[in-house]
Formats: sequence, structure tokens, C-alpha cells
Amino acid sequence: MAHSSDMISEDIVQYLKDHEQKSLLRFITCGSVDDGKSTLIGRLLYESKLLFEDQLAAVEAESKKFGTQGDNIDFALLVDGLAAEREQGITIDVAYRFFSTDKRKFIVADTPGHEQYTRNMVTGASTADVAILMVDARRGILTQTRRHTYLASLIGIPHIVVAINKMDLVDYSEKTYNQIMDDYTAFAKQIGIEETTFIPMSALAGDNITEPSNNMPWYHGTTLMGYLETVQVDDELMQKAPFRMAVQWVNRPNLDFRGFSGQLASGIVKPGDRIRALPSGKESTIATISTYDGNLERAVAGQSITLTLNDEIDISRGDMITSAEEPASIGKQFETTVIWMHEEPLMPGRTYLMQIGTKTVTASVTGIKHQVNVNTMEHLAAKKLELNGIGECNISLDRDIAFDPYKANRDTGSFILIDRMTNNTVGAGLINFALRRSTNITVQHTEVNKEVRAALKTQKPCVIWLTGLSGSGKSTIADLVEQKLLAAGHHTYLLDGDNVRHGLNKDLGFTDQDRVENIRRIAEVAKLMVDAGLIVLSSFISPFRAERKMARDMLEEGEFIEIYVNTPLEVAEDRDVKGLYKKARRGELKNFTGIDSPYEAPQQPELDLKTVEMTPEEAADKVIELLKQKQMI
Amino acid sequence: MNGKKLSATALNKLRKEAVQLRLSGATLAVIRQKTGLSHPTIISAHKRFIAGGWEAINIGKRGRPRSGTSGPGTADECLKYMLAGLPEDGGLWTTQAVQEWFGNRQHPLSTKTISRYLKEWGIAPPPSTETTESASEWLVQHHPDFVGSPAESDAQIKKRKILKGGIASLKITDTENVSGICGYAIYVQDFRGKLYWLANAGKPDSRSIIHFLERLSAQLKQEMIVSFHSAPLTRYQDIQQWLASQSQITLLTYATSPRSAKPAATPAADKHEHTQSYVRNTMALTHLERLEAESIQIMREVVSKADNPVMLYSIGKDSAVMLHLAMKAFHPSKPPFPLLHVDTGWKFRDMYTFRDELVKKLGVELITYMNPEGVEKGINPFTHGSALHTDIMKTEGLKQALNKFKFDVAFGGARRDEEKSRAKERIFSFRTADHRWDPKNQRPELWKNYNANKRPGESIRVFPLSNWTELDIWQYIYLEQIPIVPLYLSAERPVVERDGTLIMVDDERMPLQPNEVPMMKKVRFRTLGCYPLTGAVESEADTLPAIIQEMLLTKTSERQGRMIDHDSAASMEKKKQEGYF
Repeated sequence: MAHSSDMISEDIVQYLKDHEQKSLLRFITCGSVDDGKSTLIGRLLYESKLLFEDQLAAVEAESKKFGTQGDNIDFALLVDGLAAEREQGITIDVAYRFFSTDKRKFIVADTPGHEQYTRNMVTGASTADVAILMVDARRGILTQTRRHTYLASLIGIPHIVVAINKMDLVDYSEKTYNQIMDDYTAFAKQIGIEETTFIPMSALAGDNITEPSNNMPWYHGTTLMGYLETVQVDDELMQKAPFRMAVQWVNRPNLDFRGFSGQLASGIVKPGDRIRALPSGKESTIATISTYDGNLERAVAGQSITLTLNDEIDISRGDMITSAEEPASIGKQFETTVIWMHEEPLMPGRTYLMQIGTKTVTASVTGIKHQVNVNTMEHLAAKKLELNGIGECNISLDRDIAFDPYKANRDTGSFILIDRMTNNTVGAGLINFALRRSTNITVQHTEVNKEVRAALKTQKPCVIWLTGLSGSGKSTIADLVEQKLLAAGHHTYLLDGDNVRHGLNKDLGFTDQDRVENIRRIAEVAKLMVDAGLIVLSSFISPFRAERKMARDMLEEGEFIEIYVNTPLEVAEDRDVKGLYKKARRGELKNFTGIDSPYEAPQQPELDLKTVEMTPEEAADKVIELLKQKQMI
Repeated sequence: MNGKKLSATALNKLRKEAVQLRLSGATLAVIRQKTGLSHPTIISAHKRFIAGGWEAINIGKRGRPRSGTSGPGTADECLKYMLAGLPEDGGLWTTQAVQEWFGNRQHPLSTKTISRYLKEWGIAPPPSTETTESASEWLVQHHPDFVGSPAESDAQIKKRKILKGGIASLKITDTENVSGICGYAIYVQDFRGKLYWLANAGKPDSRSIIHFLERLSAQLKQEMIVSFHSAPLTRYQDIQQWLASQSQITLLTYATSPRSAKPAATPAADKHEHTQSYVRNTMALTHLERLEAESIQIMREVVSKADNPVMLYSIGKDSAVMLHLAMKAFHPSKPPFPLLHVDTGWKFRDMYTFRDELVKKLGVELITYMNPEGVEKGINPFTHGSALHTDIMKTEGLKQALNKFKFDVAFGGARRDEEKSRAKERIFSFRTADHRWDPKNQRPELWKNYNANKRPGESIRVFPLSNWTELDIWQYIYLEQIPIVPLYLSAERPVVERDGTLIMVDDERMPLQPNEVPMMKKVRFRTLGCYPLTGAVESEADTLPAIIQEMLLTKTSERQGRMIDHDSAASMEKKKQEGYF
């Protein structure tokens, strides 16, 4: 039925010719095993005759052993992972499965698991054209149905099908079907979903999967397979949007050819079309659409191509080529929706790498407006986003990027966030709109600048950033260094942990996110002082690499000198000048670095002072030596 | 000496006697002595007894009645008779001998019908493509070394009769033997088309070849050059010894057909309409176009982000598609990375030839690497087993190569549809500094946004064909006319049977059991790897559409032919963690 066997055996060449014209549909199935999701996928694979005899034999054997369907084949066993797989504890589980019919090839993103549901579903949904929401006819619309619906609409899956399964267990009742349909429609309207398709079915018995069911004569709609074979795919919709292509690679085989390779995110492009390169804003026209198969007369959304232009304009990887009439927007600050995907929570103030299209920029979350409860869609106040948390966040970048709102274009409006230390993908985000703030606040150019101020002081301003455990000797060394600099006639300032916490940062505690904010403020202050031409000494535990890197990145190349006051924990604890370690050990002091809060030692500090091997005086001399060596003084 | 000249009734009496002896526990040798029947005849009679009782032993009573005739004189019976020994006149089987056999049973047949029977049984040699060729021309083409050798002058060659032959696998429709090798014919044919043969049950061995040549020599009584389409027969000591005592016969062998002008299986003949600048008739992309665009996007991302990428090239069909996509992705530039072939030394010879020709044609850089320690220790799949061979030559070899050349990203041709455990594999798969795959430390992949950031020492395997299925691969090869190794297409090849799997004897390193001789079968390969580890399937599919047709109609999954997977159930998963793809 799915593959016309007669044609295969009689005229394979004609069959192949027909099948070259098949389209591709990617869909996601949402629901738990209890809803019959695995059974449905197994059934689809079976009906499309994509199961081989050896696989089927294996499943038949397993069905007898483990199956829940008596002597019948338990389709769920086809898709549920092996026991060994489960033991491995793969936490992000999106399994991709494939089948095809005479009309289409299908890629199913199967996202099992309740625990990591948000992360898995968002991952699977990000490439899907259709979402099939499984509903158990006996149980109706549940919390999870709402959650799946919310996520599907958030990710902007164009088509939602509600598969009302297990109709055989409710006597194929039309009343039940209508009730579920009404419940769902009422709820879907609240979150702005206008169109939904409902199909009553039984994956187990095969009703309305590929053949219209005789058990439900009251239903006149399409079967699930019929729906999947005919629904419009995303690429076709994207052809109607304005032309966008992020440049992946500049193709320069010789001096005569300069092409820009990329995949069309949207629109149609033809030679002669006027284009604009972003963010530069320069314009030109398309000369050729070059491919291995010859030059094309036009290219459409979804194709990977190489463009050449009629003018020599400067375009590199990360730039976007767009229609000149309807170009993408430019922005640096955005309101976004972020879905957090890592155990380490998102902290406002911390910087991450943002990868949007082919561009990677530095981003920091400047504020979380609210978090969304995925079950109730309520908005909650939040200081950080935990794993699977979804929040509306303001994000600020270090430079301009070209973008479209996610609702207008999934490719040019979506991004991932990458942890700068671990390189993990920690979050996914959708751009809602650009914040206009960025256009109103511009840097004031003044006649008296950093260079002039520094010249007057005959020194190069910089930040000497001492990091180390409590009691490692940071403040003592910093004090000595400042004395020596002062004696030599230099202009300095010492920012010390305790002093700053008494004033500027007295509203902050010692939780991880407060520590991040603490360092951000100190780094900003240090930056202002460097601008004033001073040599700034900063003495803070500053336990996280990410924040020290943030401080480094705020300053110019060479202005940040990281000094690791390297004292082993035992030695520092033994010294315990302020008696804090004892308190922490007794449990009276929470979040104490080295005891119940981590310290991430620098990997490549400018200077590593092993304090057990030297006196504070010697350590201070080493710092002075380094400054001379770097010609700061 | 044996029952060949006996009537069917007498023969059946002997068969019953043999079965009785077998039931009483006599050995085959003893029964043979007493009845004069051959081992296969005895075994066949015994099997029939088990299946159908005493009545079933009678050969004259069985077989499909053909065109209204029953009793003796059917085609099936003739084949049975043939398996039991030589024709009534005691010579080798020929078309005339078959005709006489039927004639003696009041069932005269035309030579045309007999040719049809021979074809049905599998005895007829493969139809010659070079119809008008002369014997000496043929010899020059197939044995240039022999003809060119100073010891053999033209005059000397011309004096002798030239015969070409081989070992064919019989098609026995008997339900007792449905799979594997159940019978064979040794045959030669002269250049006037006359065929001489000998049929036997079981698997061919060197003794039966000597037996055949002895008969042939006695029958023709002249000097001759016999050329066998087979694995080299000089490796058998008994054949060598026997030949040494024969001045009349020169025995030559050739394994594969001489390389024709087109080296690769390029279906150039039935070229499709569109290659140059074209406008698609509909605006929507087809599934292959979407897959192609996705793979190209992935490759370009890698090249932009990696310090030193490489493409793992295994010479197989998936590699062929991956390389083709790379040519497309960077056109008009060449792919900005080399290909790396981690060689085990045990690939099919056709694969090496194909690889070298293709690389030259495309102008891409190829690095081949073979684990030097493995080579030194002489690791091979026969003595060390498939698991150890794969581990040392493939897994270790790959790690060594990646370390040696400091490649940080490696493209691989694995697909998610290959097996259940691959369904969850990422497109960008991260490996630790010691190349281990950590299932817990894989990144989510959203939209088309691949995070390729990594720490020094870490590496990434990237699978641009993740979302392709086997059918997509074949359709794309067909549509794009991508050259593939000819082994994917069916042809006559020398094979032996091991544990129900057909293994091609590709060179002399393949150890055979004493006297075991490979036979020619029309086979092809669904996957290609080390030849001793790759099972062939019997197939008539010698064009791409035929392969796809066969694939769509066959009901066993692709990896069945790969012996590596039989080693242990979860072996693929374990191998991946250890660094084998």
C-alpha cells in the first residue's frame, strides 16, 4: 500500500522516476508511551513496509517475551530503545526515524521521557513541519497536552494535529471525540492557536492510520497518513517570505571567482535581483547562482547554493545577504524567549556565546522579565533560569547582528547559547523583537580620553586582577604592590572584596548568581578607573572562570592582568586569618568558596604566585617585575 | 564400480540397501564399498528416507511430470542421475550425452530443449559477451602473461586445444536444500560451443577437479590449455602434483573478468534528462534535494569552524555519496580537506582500484593509513578473528591516523537508519581527547545551528548523511550517476560458503579447507568492508535500478551481510564508545 509493489517489480525505472519527485516532511510526536506514541510510530513503520523480515522476526520474538499485547506484535518494541541504551543514561533523547510512502519521505523526531521533556521536545520541534499531539481518548486533555501545545506553538510548528488515540477503548464514541475537540479548542484559543486538525484513531487496531475506519462512520476527515502525505511543508511556506541567506563560507578558488556559499533561509533569488549585505548595508545585484550542476535560473528557500555578485563588496562568514527591498533588521539588544538546557542555571550578567545563523557573538542576559510555567502558562518572577526553564529575557550583544523576529523566520530569528568555558550548548532562544534602547544610548566621544589621561600620569592603565581562595594572601600582596607603585610615583587604586561589599555591592549575598553580579559590577568600576588612566588592583576571590573572562573581555587587549594567588586549601584553611573557614566548617557560613562552593583555578594566568614558596614581599616584587616586563610602568 | 550403468530399478535397490546400512550405523565409506554409490547419493537417499519413508528413496517415482510424461525421463531425474555420476557411456557429460539419456528413456528431446534445461540447472556457462572472438584472441585477453611468456611460442599454443571453463553452482529446486551451495558442475567449453561437464552434490573440492581433468584428458586425447574462471588452482598441492605428471594439460585460472574500458559502475548509458541549467517544474524541493541541501550546509559549517577537518573515506556507497556532496558543497573549489582511508589491507582488490582511479579523476587529496603495529604483527581476520582485526586495524588505526595528522573534525558516512542505537546519534558527535564517545556529553542540536566549539584535544565526528536512508542513498546514486565500486553490482565471482555466508575468495590469502575449491556464483555485495568479513548475496541485479528493485522487494536489513555485527548483540554500541565510528 505504501510502496506500490507492482510498479516496483514491473517497471522499476518508471517507479524511480516518480519517486524522484517525492517531498520530505519532518514531524514530531508528542506524548508518553501510555498514550500509544511508540505504538503509533511502530504502526507507521509497519504500514509503510519499512520493516525488514529480520527486524520483524526480532520484534515478534520480543513481543512474546516482553510485549503487552498477548500474541499480537507489540509495535512499541520497535521504537523503544534497548535496555542497554537506557542504562547509559543518555539524557537528551531525540530519536530520529524514517519511513516513506509513494508520496513522501518522512523523518519522525521521537522524543520520549518525561524528565527532560522541555529540552527534548524543543530540540525535536525546532526542525519539525508538523506536531502530532497524542491524546488518550479515555483521559482527554491533560496537563501534558497543554504543555506540548504550548511548546509546539512557542517553537512555531506550522501545523498541529491532535491524534485522539485508543478510540477502540471508548467504543469509538463520537461524543467522546467531540468533547475532547471542544476542550482542546477552548484551551488552544487562549494561546493563540487558530487551526488544529483532529483525527480519532486507534494506533493499536489500525483505525484511521492509513485506511478510513469502518468503526467510526461518523468521522469524515482524513486518515493520519493521508494528512501527513498532503499537508504543506515548511520550505514551501518559506518561499513566500523575503530572501535571506546567511553566508557560511566565502568560496575563492581563484582570483576570478568570489562566491558566497550558504543555504537559503527564505524567499526566492534570481540573477539580477538587488540584494543588501548586512550588517554593512552595502548593496549589489546577483550575478550568478553557481552550483556543481551548472548555474541556476533561480534558487528557492532550503537550497544550498553559491552566489556571485556584480560588485566587489566586502562580505564574510556571519554576514547575511538579504533582499534589498525587504532587508532583515539590525540590532544589538533584544527581547528574547530563552529555553534553558543545562544543569548549570542561566545567570543574568554572565556572558555567553550566542550563535545565530552563521554568526557567533558575545551575549549577556541583562535581565529576566519573567519565567513561564509550561504547565499553566503562568508568568513567574525569576532571578535565574534552571534546566528546562523558559523565560522572557533581555539580551545584550557586543556588536550588531542582522535578524528577523522568530515569528517571521525560524532560521534568522533563532539562536543557541554556548557556555564559554565548557563549550556546551546551554540554551536555545527565539528573538521576539529588538529593544530600541540600543539606538538611543551611544558612546559619548570626548576630547579628553584614556590615552591623554594616561600620558599625563606616565603609565599605562591596567587592571591587576588577583584571584585566589579566602586567606590566600590576595589583600596583603595587593597592598604591598600598591605601596611599591605609589613609592615609584604611579597613580593607583585598590578595589578590595570586603570594602566593595560594604558599599557598592552591599545588596548582594553569596549565592552563585550574586557572585556573578558582584564581579560584573567590580569589572565595570575597574573599567571606568582604567579609562581614568589608573593602575587598578582588584583583590577578589572571583571563583568562576566565566566572570574573570567577562572582566577580561570588557577591557582592551593587554589591560587585564590575571594573577593567581596560588595557595592550597589546607594552607589557607590553616592560616584562617578571619576565622571564616572554621565557621564554614561548622556550617554557620553557607556558600563558602573552597568548602561548599567551588573555586575554578585560572588555566592560563599571566602570573602564578605559589605563596607557600615565597614571602608576600617576594610575591609583590614578582608583580612589579611583570608590570615592568609588560612596559606598563 | 558404481551404479551409473544400472537401470533405475537396480539403482533404487542399491539406494534402499544403502539407507538400510546407514540406519544400522555403517559409515559412509563402508556403504560406498558395499553399494558402489557415491557419498552424496547415499546422503541424499538417507535424507529422502527421513522425509518421506522408503517410497521416497525411489528416484524414478519422483520429480515433476513434464508435459504429460511421468515416470523415468524427466528433467529432474536427469539431474539426479547426473549428480550420481557419469553418463551411461562413461565419458563426461555433454549435450549429446543428455540427449542420449533422454532417448534411452523413450523421451527424445531437441538440443534446444536441452540447452534450456542446462540453463535451468545452472550448468550453462555465462553467455559470452564477445561472440565472434577466436580462441587465441580470448587467451591473449585473459592470460596476457601466459601468452607473452618466452616459453610459449605462438606455434606451440596453436597446436593445442583451448578450453575455457569453471565451476558453476547448480540450481536444485529440491526443497531439502533451499540455501547455500548444494551442488556444482565443473565444466569446460571449446570455442565451437561444445560443453563437457561433471556434476556433484555438496561443495567443490580439488579432488573432483582432478577427477574431471582426468576424464577430460582421457576423452579428448590431445594436448590442451584449460582456462578456469576461478580462484587460482595452483594453490592446491594435489592438483599441482597431478598436473606435474601430465604433459598434455596446461591449467590456467583467472579470477575476475578482465578490466573493461569502464572501470566504475556508471550508468552513463541511460542518462537522465537534466544535468545542466534547469528550472524545476514545481517550486517545492524534493526529498533528495532537501537532504542534499542539508548535508551541504553541514559540510560548509564544519569547514568554517574546524582547524583541520578530514573526510573518512571507506570506498563504499555512503562514502561515494558523501564525497559527491563535498564536491557540490565547495564547487568550483575542491573540497578544502583531504580524504582519509583507514586501510586494513583486507579490502577487495576492486575497491583499491576504484579508490585510486576516482581520487585521480576528481583531483582530491587522499591519505591512506594502516596501523603499522597491526601490519607488523600480521593481524588478519582469519587467525585473529573479526573482533580483534576490526579493533586493531580499524578502530586503533583510525585513532592513530587522527592523532598523527592532528585532525580535529572527521566526516563519517554513518546514517541513523542503519540500526536502532544510531537513531539518537547527533550529527555532530563529540569525542574526548582519547576518542571515546561519551553518551552523556552530547549536545542538543536545534534548527540548523550546530555548536562546533571544543577544547584543545577534543575532536568531533560529523555525520552529514544522518538523515539519509539506504533507499535515499541508492536513489541519489542513480539520479546523480555517482560512480560506485562494481562489487555492488552482480557478477560471476569465486565464492566459498562459511556458516551459511558466501565469502568471496578475492586473493590467495584466504585460507581454504584442504581441497576446498571456490565456485563461481552470480553474487553482489550490499555493503563493502574487508572481504573476509563481508558476505555476498546471490543476485541477478547488475544495474542500479535492479539493485533498488531488489532492495525494495527484499526483506532483510542491510547489515545482515556484515559479519562484524554477528559478534555480539550490542557490539555496535560498544565499538562506538571505543572509537570505531
